Amino acid sequence: MSARTFKPDDTVDFVVVGSGAAGGVMARELAQAGFDVLVLEQGPRFTAADFRHDEFDYWFNNALLNSPETSPQTFRRTASEPATRVKGFPSLWYARMVGGSSNHFTGNFWRFHEVDFRERSLLGAMPGTSFADWPIDYAELEPYYTKVEWDVGVSGLAGASPFDPPRSKPYPMPPLPVKSSGVLLERGARKLGLHPFPAPMAIASVPYRGRPACAHCGFCIGFGCEMQAKSSTLYTMIPEAEATGRCEVRSESYVFRVNVDERDRATGVSYFDRDRREHFQKSRAVVLCANGAETPRLLLMSADARHPDGLANSSGLVGRNLMFNTYTEAHAVFEHPLNEFKSVQVTRIVHDFYDADPKRGFYGGGGLDGRIGPNPIAWSLFAPPPEKSWGSELKALLEAMPRAMVVATHGTSLAQESNRVELDPELKDAWGMPAMRVTYDDHPDDLDFARFLQDRAVEIMQAAGAQQVWKAPVMPAPGSPHLLGTCRMGDDPKSSVVDRHHRSHDIRNLFICDGSSFVTSGRGQPTMTIQALAFRAGEHIARFAKRGEI
Amino acid sequence: MNENNSSRRSFLLSSGGALGAGWLALNWPALSAAAAHSHEMAAGQADRSFKILNAAQSRDVEAIASQIVPSGDTPGAREAGVVYFVDHVHAGPYAGSRDEFLAGLAAFQDDFTQRHPGAGSFADLDADAQIAHLKAVEATPFFGRMKFLTLLGLLALPSYGGNADKLGWKLAGFVDQHAWTPPFGHYDRDYPGFVPYGKEKHS
Repeated sequence: MSARTFKPDDTVDFVVVGSGAAGGVMARELAQAGFDVLVLEQGPRFTAADFRHDEFDYWFNNALLNSPETSPQTFRRTASEPATRVKGFPSLWYARMVGGSSNHFTGNFWRFHEVDFRERSLLGAMPGTSFADWPIDYAELEPYYTKVEWDVGVSGLAGASPFDPPRSKPYPMPPLPVKSSGVLLERGARKLGLHPFPAPMAIASVPYRGRPACAHCGFCIGFGCEMQAKSSTLYTMIPEAEATGRCEVRSESYVFRVNVDERDRATGVSYFDRDRREHFQKSRAVVLCANGAETPRLLLMSADARHPDGLANSSGLVGRNLMFNTYTEAHAVFEHPLNEFKSVQVTRIVHDFYDADPKRGFYGGGGLDGRIGPNPIAWSLFAPPPEKSWGSELKALLEAMPRAMVVATHGTSLAQESNRVELDPELKDAWGMPAMRVTYDDHPDDLDFARFLQDRAVEIMQAAGAQQVWKAPVMPAPGSPHLLGTCRMGDDPKSSVVDRHHRSHDIRNLFICDGSSFVTSGRGQPTMTIQALAFRAGEHIARFAKRGEI
Repeated sequence: MNENNSSRRSFLLSSGGALGAGWLALNWPALSAAAAHSHEMAAGQADRSFKILNAAQSRDVEAIASQIVPSGDTPGAREAGVVYFVDHVHAGPYAGSRDEFLAGLAAFQDDFTQRHPGAGSFADLDADAQIAHLKAVEATPFFGRMKFLTLLGLLALPSYGGNADKLGWKLAGFVDQHAWTPPFGHYDRDYPGFVPYGKEKHS
């Protein structure tokens, strides 16, 4: 069957706002369950043929991203500072296109561990934070992690990590071929008594479900995959949703309001088409999968006389508890060429520091991986230490690039109500809608743990025999592509926005499922969990709809 | 079909056995288009004309870039034509920051004249004096911007005006290719395979 095209007057069963990691899964699950689904995506629809090897355009001209020119943001560290307009690169960034950030992501697909869901109970309260347990546990989500691995497509080696949580099935594809960065990470880590293992990646290592295997072109993080080997929803879930004959993906359709009636029922959404004409789309239920930045913004923009603080916001938590995951780097240069510009970013990871350890004196957990960062421009700009940022020393480093690698650290971010997405009171976007205002400051424990993990990265590179090792500065984050926590899940309507089935506490036929649902940040790779949540939510929402419980 | 396309096709044919001819037939037009597009971008004609910089400005910009990535035994920013990138990008993708860039350049030149009365322009100095001057203004936003633009111009696709003859990529040992096969580097050449750990539970 081919994709459906709904008529303007049709009332669809579900409008899904956003077609990324969560929206693609949601559309496929609801359409396969027999419902009429209209996906509204603000960005364009690209094909594999549109993607280019153009580091300048993709990384330094925002070719795929929410552009600071048309979709501006303001940023401030704390509420006591004035927010200033973000220039050049967005603070909260995502790929604005069908498939969303699942197009340009790295593809690190770590499952959460059991501790991620109940760490508050294990460790106790953290003053000044909203540290909390999830209403669901790992066992509840395990079948859906497996579904992501098999239906979306993840390469990896089951049982390789002694730290992995229980799993019901092995990975459907073997790990991708190891790179020199992976070999060196593994060599150094094993010497230190650690347990490096093959990275689980949402990239096909062998032909899988009609898609070819990775060709190792190296234009991976920040790029769309020209081979269709990256398991983006653009190549996996969206075509399967359309193949039901019950799903339409309408691109260049920017939803700016969720409409509700006087009984607090969502009646549909208002959106701008590509010519900025306004439309109203009727639907029986609305599912927001617009990401952890745009979902809360949309709810806040949907404020009306009866909901002056925005929709689904009786808790006051819409947009709050924004979490990023900390990220730091240690750089190293070795004797021989690694040629890290080839293939995928990551082939080996270390999870020995996944669990928090109160003995360290601060909260935090995370993982390490070996990589280099996107491509030559980014490395040349961001890797050299300040004293080697120009002149003959910079040139010597540039010539050493084939022998260089990065150990990246990924860690926890604590939920804090003061970290939030709001509407800027003055700045408007190119459609005349309020711009996003971001307030974000890392918790001191987050930065302490990031520094701790960075020191481990340095030790690993030294143990692997690096000729030079240096640390990138650890600073408060200016932004992130990990957009988490802003409509958190919970049983209590006073302290959460959605319930354990992703239904908003306030509006019965409004569901929210994306990074905004997260209660804790996990250790740095959220997309696997976003998609597992979407599979689970899709199943529950379909069940509710079939029973007339929406 | 150009060389890139044909090598891509033979790669796909040799590695995609399990996909079968059906998949290739279905997807070849798209893959071929992607390959051709990238190739054209990479091979773009070098346009050696200035869109926004006058002669004095272009001389100074080239001289600054040439101290950021100097020439020597191997080519640097000058040979890679970084100055053309800096010029073209402000008439294209970065047109929005053109005025800011030109104001920064003007301030750099005014400051230079004040510090070195009668010395002509920055580009007229010898290399040691240029380095000494840049160290004195190292913390200015304009010099930071010049470092950024120089590396972009050195390593972006040649179609943006710099990276002439892919000299920047050659310097950094980078090769843009549609497909690679293992081994990728020295250290994964003789990797014996992943050795599993014992079954003990660590966490």
